[in-house]
Amino acid sequence: MLKTALHLGLFSLLCMGLPCLAASQAIQVIQTDIQPSLETLATDFVRQMVSRAGSLAAVSVSFQNISVLPPESQEAVQNAIFTGFRNAGVRLANAEGAQARVDITFSEDWRGFLWIATIDVNGNKKVVMKKVARPEHTTNARAPMLTIRKSAVWQQDTPILDFYQDNQTLALLQPDVISIFANDSGVWRPRYTLAITHPQPWPRDLRGRLVVKNSQLTAFLPGTRCSGSISPPSLDCRASDDPWQLDQGSLVAFYSPRRNFFTGILAGPSAGASVIPFFSAAAWQSGDSHQWLFTGTDGRTRLYQYDLSAPAAIFNGWGSNLAAVHSNCASGWQTLLTSPGDSVRPDSVQAVEVLGREALPVSAPLDLAGPVQALWTSGKNSEIANGVLQSTSTGQYEAFTLTVNCGR
Amino acid sequence: MKLSRLQSIAAASLLIALATTAGASSRPRYGGTVRILLHDRFSSLDPMGDEDHPAARDRVTALLYDTLTEVDSEGRVHPRLASSWSAEANNRIWLFNLRLANFQDGSLVTAPDVVSSLTHLSQGWKVTAIDKQSIRIEVPVPIAHMPELLALPRFAVVKRGSDNTSTGSGPYKISEWQPGERVLLSANEDYWGGRPYPDAIEFQLGASLRDQLLERQLGRYSAAELTVDQLRPLEQSNQNLQLSRPSDLLVLLFLHPDNQVASSRQARKPVDARVREALSNAINRAAINNVILQKRGIPASGILPQWLTGYEFLFPGGTNLDRAKELRSEAAGLVIINPIALAYDFSDPVAKLVAERIAVDAREAGIVVQPFGEAHIANKSARAALNADAVLLRLPLQSLQPAVALAAALDDLGLSDPTAAPLNAGRLEDVFELEGRTLADFRVIPVAHVSQAVWLNSTVHNWLQAPTGEWKLDQVWSEGGK
Repeated sequence: MLKTALHLGLFSLLCMGLPCLAASQAIQVIQTDIQPSLETLATDFVRQMVSRAGSLAAVSVSFQNISVLPPESQEAVQNAIFTGFRNAGVRLANAEGAQARVDITFSEDWRGFLWIATIDVNGNKKVVMKKVARPEHTTNARAPMLTIRKSAVWQQDTPILDFYQDNQTLALLQPDVISIFANDSGVWRPRYTLAITHPQPWPRDLRGRLVVKNSQLTAFLPGTRCSGSISPPSLDCRASDDPWQLDQGSLVAFYSPRRNFFTGILAGPSAGASVIPFFSAAAWQSGDSHQWLFTGTDGRTRLYQYDLSAPAAIFNGWGSNLAAVHSNCASGWQTLLTSPGDSVRPDSVQAVEVLGREALPVSAPLDLAGPVQALWTSGKNSEIANGVLQSTSTGQYEAFTLTVNCGR
Repeated sequence: MKLSRLQSIAAASLLIALATTAGASSRPRYGGTVRILLHDRFSSLDPMGDEDHPAARDRVTALLYDTLTEVDSEGRVHPRLASSWSAEANNRIWLFNLRLANFQDGSLVTAPDVVSSLTHLSQGWKVTAIDKQSIRIEVPVPIAHMPELLALPRFAVVKRGSDNTSTGSGPYKISEWQPGERVLLSANEDYWGGRPYPDAIEFQLGASLRDQLLERQLGRYSAAELTVDQLRPLEQSNQNLQLSRPSDLLVLLFLHPDNQVASSRQARKPVDARVREALSNAINRAAINNVILQKRGIPASGILPQWLTGYEFLFPGGTNLDRAKELRSEAAGLVIINPIALAYDFSDPVAKLVAERIAVDAREAGIVVQPFGEAHIANKSARAALNADAVLLRLPLQSLQPAVALAAALDDLGLSDPTAAPLNAGRLEDVFELEGRTLADFRVIPVAHVSQAVWLNSTVHNWLQAPTGEWKLDQVWSEGGK
């Protein structure tokens, strides 16, 4: 029983990573353990040794560990290799009684473990190597006040700019297409793609916004607006400097067509007002008080209260993505913020509440697997933030949702 | 839960967090000029030319020219000028589809342009255009890692004019070029991958960091390339430094192979294999690493570092003075042992110290090594005419894929052998065996793997240094832009 438990521990220790990453799935399924077990890895390693040596009847085996593999794991791997030899009909012997000497080293490269066997048959040496994925790091959950809940929606190799999701449909806005998926018993299955045409190359740090209402699609992209429908499928794109809808209707703003920010000129309910150029914004109403936050391209975030004539407070050191989320907790409105730092490194998201002219954290930072590429307020009542990140470890883009839950 | 209860717990931590991270932001900003100090000089911007400091040149040409593919800092291959690819005939035939992209002169990048560019490399490959936007590469032996190989700077797609001018399709264009002194690049507004964030990138070549520090002028630069002997004072003043993994290979290369036919014009004969082995045993790699390289490297026994392959430890590389003396004595009974003339890059102060240390170690084993500085040791054609027995080279690690990295290193060493090319090595064991064969006759003696270092101004963002030391400046931006 103990052995089984140890092996299960090693199963997760050794078998995460390369073998289980495979390719991006066209159809997302609930992740299942498809990694080889420790026994399978050891059996395969022994099989390679036997194949390379020609035949092995009796061997003496020695081990050394020059990797970070902990001693207890090393012992389990050794046992699995011994079992592999026995199952292959190779007798384990001491040096005198052995036909071959096998020196096994648990080494590692920058990506994972490497098992190396040097097989010495009468001075004729052969080397066998087996790559074994290293486990992913796990972080201890911190004790939050409110909790940010993250739910993965979709992963793929190519960029995702924004997405829309309801019970029946998932629509992914990508640089050159909108992909539509249908819910088939809990699995998103691709239905069709709608091509996005654009006359100019996209700017770097490409951003886009997808708005879906009653099956009608609107995609806002730099200098381009696409309109169409999910059913029947259609999409028509044209050059446009129409303002983008940032949230569920309270924030509408013009976007710089060759850059990655909003110009600061507002439209919609705030038409006529302007603020400094910004990357993202949040707006909410608490009682009779309107509040806005804008993450400026100068690295400062400005809080406006009641009107947009002058900022009530300026915050330094915030990330450039934020989204307002409505919840049943505390004041009812939280703003989700990304962390400051370079956009090539893993990000985190933290919830803050604005009280007076101060911003107070109300959750622990939620560590993410990569930099946040997009964060938009979503849901019928703004109760969700739709996010996209690019994993620094896998390079994959992940669409996810964030909600704020009360309590720890 | 009431918000008021949270306030007292959280306010202090937020205020601290905000105070310590002021001014930072994660989304890139456009505009401004990124100014970079490079340690070495180079005289040409041709990515395929023979050059004294090709690694320095490649830092610039990577911004001017596109390759068909690229490899990210995690070793993953991505499309660049090629939008997709596939292999046939057991990796002997590769098909690449090109994306719609323009050269900086406004003309479309077409399959014939790519064919012309790759054929220029004359690797025995048969490169043909299938149609306007796709090419076919047929190679004599299977190449399993063709996409990784084509990401190397030497496979950049270059359009050559009748006047031998070269044009690329990269994210920057040349605005000013003073060979050996300065390059000013400006953003390519029409780059297929989107206009870069900075308006310009300026490289200052052969810059003395010491002078800049003395003049307290470093602040006007975004980044400065450093050698390991320059790190300590900057670390002591808490400057922002990035170090790669120990990636560059410091290696002794004996110039004359054992089978070289002696001629009257050939002033130098091959150094006896036993003497070479004796020298390898005499070198105190640990001392070189600890003292001269200030622990910014690791002793090397292989061409590729342990962190990349996981197998370097299998190659012997320790100091064994007794064995060195024994081998030297054996050789002395059979051949005349002449002093070994060892050339090193005279512009690299660390190379000078390492060469001198090797001479000291060799003397312990009764071998005379005479180090001297030379200007062109990395230049393969110039190296052939060098009046030296051996050279001390510093070779950058060019790929995170071991087979490709070994192939590139052997090419840099001038040891490419088409019949034993590591590129058709499908398994890591094959790469190991080929590397072992290369090291077996001690013509190549690895000394150390050394980290690359760069100083970064706090105003520069998204600077990525790959584990190889290669700079990924694709997403870089600087504060103070628009």
